[in-house]
Amino acid sequence: MMNEYIQRFSVRQRIEHLTVMILFLVLGVTGFAQKFYDAPWAIWTINAIGGIDRVRWIHRAAGIAFTVFAIIHVSIGLFLVLTRRARPSMIASRKDFQDAITQLRYYLRISDKPARFDRFDYRQKFEYWGMVLGGMLMIATGFMLLYPVIVTRLLPGEFIPVARVAHSNEGLLAFLIVIIWHIFNAHLSPEVFPFDKSIFTGKVSREYMEKEHPLEYERIMGQGEEKQEAKTHEAP
Amino acid sequence: MIASAGQAAPAAPDPPSNDDCLKCHGKLDASAKLGDGETMSLYVDSESFAHSVHGGKLACTNCHTNITAVPHPARQFKDRRAMSLAYYESCKQCHFAEYTRLLDGVHYAALEKGKEKAPTCVDCHGSHAMGPPAKPRMHISETCAQCHTAVGAAYARSAHAAGLAKGNPDVPVCTDCHHAHDNANPMTTESHLRISELCAHCHTNEKLMAKYGISTDVLTTYLADFHGLTASLYRSQGMKPAALTATCTDCHGVHDITWVKGPGSGVIKANLLIRCQHCHKGAGPNFSSAWMGHYEPSLRHAPLVYLVKLFYMIFIPFVVGGLVIQILLHLWRVVVNI
Repeated sequence: MMNEYIQRFSVRQRIEHLTVMILFLVLGVTGFAQKFYDAPWAIWTINAIGGIDRVRWIHRAAGIAFTVFAIIHVSIGLFLVLTRRARPSMIASRKDFQDAITQLRYYLRISDKPARFDRFDYRQKFEYWGMVLGGMLMIATGFMLLYPVIVTRLLPGEFIPVARVAHSNEGLLAFLIVIIWHIFNAHLSPEVFPFDKSIFTGKVSREYMEKEHPLEYERIMGQGEEKQEAKTHEAP
Repeated sequence: MIASAGQAAPAAPDPPSNDDCLKCHGKLDASAKLGDGETMSLYVDSESFAHSVHGGKLACTNCHTNITAVPHPARQFKDRRAMSLAYYESCKQCHFAEYTRLLDGVHYAALEKGKEKAPTCVDCHGSHAMGPPAKPRMHISETCAQCHTAVGAAYARSAHAAGLAKGNPDVPVCTDCHHAHDNANPMTTESHLRISELCAHCHTNEKLMAKYGISTDVLTTYLADFHGLTASLYRSQGMKPAALTATCTDCHGVHDITWVKGPGSGVIKANLLIRCQHCHKGAGPNFSSAWMGHYEPSLRHAPLVYLVKLFYMIFIPFVVGGLVIQILLHLWRVVVNI
């Protein structure tokens, strides 16, 4: 008998998701309280936390933790891919663009065949790379705001308000993407409603894999059951 | 501190008239010996009193209430100051509101601690020859400068004082910022956090500022930036911050506020860095341009900030709109499949 569930995420990946989730929440609350500083809810939040100085301290500490995790994440991913211990399954390829067009034709009922996805579909790659690139921008601008004296020894002073505008808007964009896109894909989408638990349990149902990631499912099956565990340990 | 002579005179039906008093005090050589040995003139110039704000309205005994009959017993004071202090509460009989405000001010607090030099009513307003305190308006800053000499000299160098000297009624004198009677201690954190509001009182008045070509965006641009939002949050959180954040006076100067575009201005680029370095130790020459000088970013001022802002104004709706369309298409196809 085959297992009803397939291991999709490793323990490391699940811990990474949980960490990013918590840090994102902390950074979001402490960041938006500063962005919308004159809104009543922001003032309430700042006072509840214990004043703007403490809010900033928490925001900076969480930002530094986020930086550390981002460096670890990228290093591990690069290491696994470069040493061929994992397939570069998150790298965007031409197939992703083709998939997006195929899927659009399917949505518009020009075609009746939805795109067949591998381990990560184009929507997941979009969100992942949005997170990584947006995260890098947030880290860079965040450090510029934290160390303006050092930064302006090398760069023009105007870069500080530029960093502030970029940090503030990029944060808003990240928040909107998570609220609209991620919450839909992980909770509200009919395929997973009410809650896609796979990133917490690490497991997905065979049925889900067959439907949502058929190419990966076929590859796993083709390789035989015994190698399934090893091959699904992906990077990043 | 007040050596009041014993007073046992019976209550007279008619208090002495001004003429009764002037029989002695109208003589040029009327004098008394004080406790410290000084001979103090007791002469009152009836002419100058008649021309004072109280002339024709008050009798001597309205203020000198303890004099109920002429001649009155000699009063003993250790010095001039003791005499002034013995009389300052006379004013509150009529000017009660000013008196109660005075009780909230720094000067009274000092007096209460036993600092006899702290000013009371007569030190600022004068006594017998008292004129209207704000006529001319310049009189106010001169009055304060009698004690606050260094501050008075700094103020005299300011753009505000230059306007005052020309008789301009728009510029502030000491009391516009510090109040006349309930002057709060300006060195406290609370006072520091209130400064932007104080300056904004005039500097956000469009009609007033238009006369001088001064932008009224100064407050909003300050409050929207790091220092200003920090200051307003420090105020709203009602607890003492560990360190203060820059406010108007930290860059523009406290009393010697000059025209920002003048060569001696502390905030023109060449001098601004020095102000920044007060708090930002080690700041280099590029640092001060991190502050956009009260300008809203535009293609002329801080174009890079403006363009990044513009980029996100387009990029955020573009991305979010795209995602919403994808979600709606997805849901629509799910519904169609059923």
